[in-house]
Amino acid sequence: MKLFNKILFYVSLTISAIAFIYPFYWMIVASFAPENEIGSLTLLPTDFSFSSYLQMFKKIPIGKSFLNSLLVASSVTGGVLVFGSMVGYALARMEFWGRNVIFYIIVFTMTLPFQITLIPQYIIMVKFQWVDTYLALIMPYLINALSIIMFRQYFKTIPQSLIDAARLDGCNELQIIFKILWPNSVPAIVTIGILTFMASWNEVLWPIIVIRDESLMTMPQLVTLFAVGGRAESQLGVKLASAVMLALPIIIAYLFFQKYFIQSMASSGIKE
Amino acid sequence: MLLFLFLLLSSCFQNENVNENDLIYWSSNNSYEINFAKVVTDNWNKDTHLSKVYFQPVPEGQSSEEIILAAVVGKTTPDIYSNMWQGDVEAYAQAGVLIPLDTLDGFLDFLYNRCDSTVVEEIKSLDGHIYQIPWKVNPILLIYNENLINKLSLKRPPKTYSEFLDLSYEFMDDADGDGYTDRWFGYAEVQVTWWQRFFDFYPLYLAASGGASLVNNGRAVFNNEHSIKVFRFLKELYEKNYFTKEKLSSRQDVFLSSVIATRFTGPWEIMHADNFKTDDFLYDFSYIPVPDNHTGPVYTYGDPKNIVIFNSCKNPEEAWRFLKTLISEKGDLELLKITNQLPRRKDLEINDTFRDYFNNNPKMKTFASQSKYVKGTDASPVLKEVFDLISQEYEACVVYGIKTPEEALKDAEEAVNLLFLK
Amino acid sequence: MKITKDKILPYLLVSPYLLHFGLFVAFPVIFSIVLTFHNWDIISPMEFTGLNNYVRLFSDKIFFKSLLNTLLFLCIHIPLQIVVALFLAEILNQNINFRGLFRGAFFLPVIVSGVVVTILWQQLYGFDAGLINRMLVKIGMNKIGWLTDPNVAMISIAVMATWKNVGLYIILFLVGLQTVPGHYYEAADLEGASRSQKFFRITLPMINPTIFMVVLLSTVGGFSLFIEPYVMTGGGPLNSTISAVLYIYKQGFFYYHMGYAATLGLFFAVIIMLVVVIQKKYVEQET
Repeated sequence: MKLFNKILFYVSLTISAIAFIYPFYWMIVASFAPENEIGSLTLLPTDFSFSSYLQMFKKIPIGKSFLNSLLVASSVTGGVLVFGSMVGYALARMEFWGRNVIFYIIVFTMTLPFQITLIPQYIIMVKFQWVDTYLALIMPYLINALSIIMFRQYFKTIPQSLIDAARLDGCNELQIIFKILWPNSVPAIVTIGILTFMASWNEVLWPIIVIRDESLMTMPQLVTLFAVGGRAESQLGVKLASAVMLALPIIIAYLFFQKYFIQSMASSGIKE
Repeated sequence: MLLFLFLLLSSCFQNENVNENDLIYWSSNNSYEINFAKVVTDNWNKDTHLSKVYFQPVPEGQSSEEIILAAVVGKTTPDIYSNMWQGDVEAYAQAGVLIPLDTLDGFLDFLYNRCDSTVVEEIKSLDGHIYQIPWKVNPILLIYNENLINKLSLKRPPKTYSEFLDLSYEFMDDADGDGYTDRWFGYAEVQVTWWQRFFDFYPLYLAASGGASLVNNGRAVFNNEHSIKVFRFLKELYEKNYFTKEKLSSRQDVFLSSVIATRFTGPWEIMHADNFKTDDFLYDFSYIPVPDNHTGPVYTYGDPKNIVIFNSCKNPEEAWRFLKTLISEKGDLELLKITNQLPRRKDLEINDTFRDYFNNNPKMKTFASQSKYVKGTDASPVLKEVFDLISQEYEACVVYGIKTPEEALKDAEEAVNLLFLK
Repeated sequence: MKITKDKILPYLLVSPYLLHFGLFVAFPVIFSIVLTFHNWDIISPMEFTGLNNYVRLFSDKIFFKSLLNTLLFLCIHIPLQIVVALFLAEILNQNINFRGLFRGAFFLPVIVSGVVVTILWQQLYGFDAGLINRMLVKIGMNKIGWLTDPNVAMISIAVMATWKNVGLYIILFLVGLQTVPGHYYEAADLEGASRSQKFFRITLPMINPTIFMVVLLSTVGGFSLFIEPYVMTGGGPLNSTISAVLYIYKQGFFYYHMGYAATLGLFFAVIIMLVVVIQKKYVEQET
């Protein structure tokens, strides 16, 4: 009985795993296949060809978009970590009038759906002349309610004695945050960092709205427009190649940091 | 923090040092048009004028229309823009950001010399002024695979609806034997996106009706026998599976891979086809099919792109002098030679200046003769939505057969009239 | 001097947030509400129209279709996700080798951009040459119009969305499953309980909180459905896949009916908040 169950389990898992991996496998293989074979491809092409990739590099600035995404996601993550911890610290360990009010406001903004701020946010970008600039991509995301709450939660658990000792040594508040609290909050930083970076990297709707200039587009945005628009000139292999390029950075990061990825996303769910 | 400052500074980066008097000219970012713009501005700048002209291609992106919109809102418009789609002009004209060109010295004379009166009427705005210069057209025709057509009974491309339907029936095939048709005579995108209609419904409508309008004076005028015939024709194509409902454009090029024998497309297809086709692939262009009892010339949609001067321009008279060279005979010849796009002028076929070009590019001759019978779009600030509403009914009737053509067009007419009321 | 510095310090720390909040939350919300009473296409001046936009909203058949579509999507996506995720998590929770490998495989679609998933599945769902239909024909079945049949299209998108996100919920369920005390199962074994009895009487009730969390997260995520229909179907066929966000995007950034789009956005946002509040209250009641 037990063996039968075991076999059943492994078979189910394997079939499921194939269902999850095969599409990716197919996409990668198809991107290396000559154009006219893609229609009938299932497992392996007869010919190995780079032409789809070469064409893609000629047609769209995929390298630049990668750098754009990197720049934007890093800036956003940096800002979220810095500002999040600043505000989280103030809310967690300082006494001041309005502390609770601000906290409730922050919680409230988390429930606010973005649909309501989308249009006015765009108009702000236009009025400030930030359309088609990196600022439009970074500024609205620089501070994040979830990060503030997570930092506040985490900082509350840090023993006061640590902070008092730092004060006695003559540290000012900022130094306390970055020199004392941060080294003790690595799990929180990693979690928030990964979540923010991923969310920023994969964000498509907002860039589509505020960035028209191809040299400033983020990678998912560029690939989306490439796949939906006519730039690929109906060359399927090229579209698939661009999709592979888009998936590659995250998959590589994932292979190295799998543990942290999974931990971060799990704990973000739990915090809800 | 440093990163933040850097970003702030980089966003303040503006144009290079341009003289007060000089003109900024935005061209499309198509590489051939960039070459053209360079040639024309170099020609101008080598003589002394009041202003030098600097051209900039609009940034590569989704659509130049949105870039113009952002420029208008951010008050960073150029002096001259040469790639404005005719359908967009009315909205900008009504917003007051374009110069009424008919107030410029010598404009009207030049215009009537270049184009005939139907064209001039077509580009007039609702307030009677003219805000755009008709520059170029890319007529939509029927491209066909010569080898495949020759194998069919007619041995030539179809001219009427009956011929098209008969050939469709003859051509359709199940090449891989899986029980499902996978070869179709033609194809039209079933997606409801408003501009897809420029490649199916609208050219057919113009062909059937001799260039009739869709909307006029704030009312829908498209609900007539012509549009009904067009809807009925297209509906039959989908009903009988002569056209597929699948989105073939997410596959590789189906025309070049002989999955379809014909397609509605424009002159840009020539360069694309020549780039990607196999050596034994032969193709040519024919006219848009018309109803069986059709008389008179066969019109089509011209995808016209026109030139406008924004009211941020400090010296429109000088801008106009520059533009005269751009659309002169010499300029138009450069347009043809460098970009393979047709200038919208009435003497295109008879003017000696262009003779050599057409002799060297025979496929373009068909387009040139068609250019006498092209229509752009009606003047309306909500044109996109009109097409979108028509598209909704198109999908319901033509693709999914849940409404008759009469019902669909009536519903579209009501929706459009409602739109104008707002 | 030191006292004043201490007093203003918290405010200094919080000030970036307040600035950001003011600019990107408070102002947009207020401006959004103001916009709903106007017509505006960005290039012309704003035009006051009173309640016109609201009147228009209530007679907008396509908007309500988009709401229904979103609802349909949620009703398929959420149960499907829970069943699949729970099933796979339950298996993984047993003594399985290569657990990390399987977990990694399931998690792969989660981290990859939605765009990649959409492009992939377009190839799977193609009617004539799509991978799924080709295999159906090989085993003697009919082809299905995954994206061309108005009755099927939204289901196809829901299945794709499930495939993309299920890895995350497998992880969450795994965490939840591991919180069930082992001795419950031992006691049940002593009483001779069957596998399914153990599952439905012990496991399920104990992971109720996790299930609620999954429902909540999926709901909020599902309301933002945009990129999948945008890329795959453009909202068709016959408006069967147009989601609320896609429709709002069209109104605002296709036609530049900024006032009307703001109205739609506001209405939709209120619905979302109501749903979230109701779900949270339900959860609080149950625990």
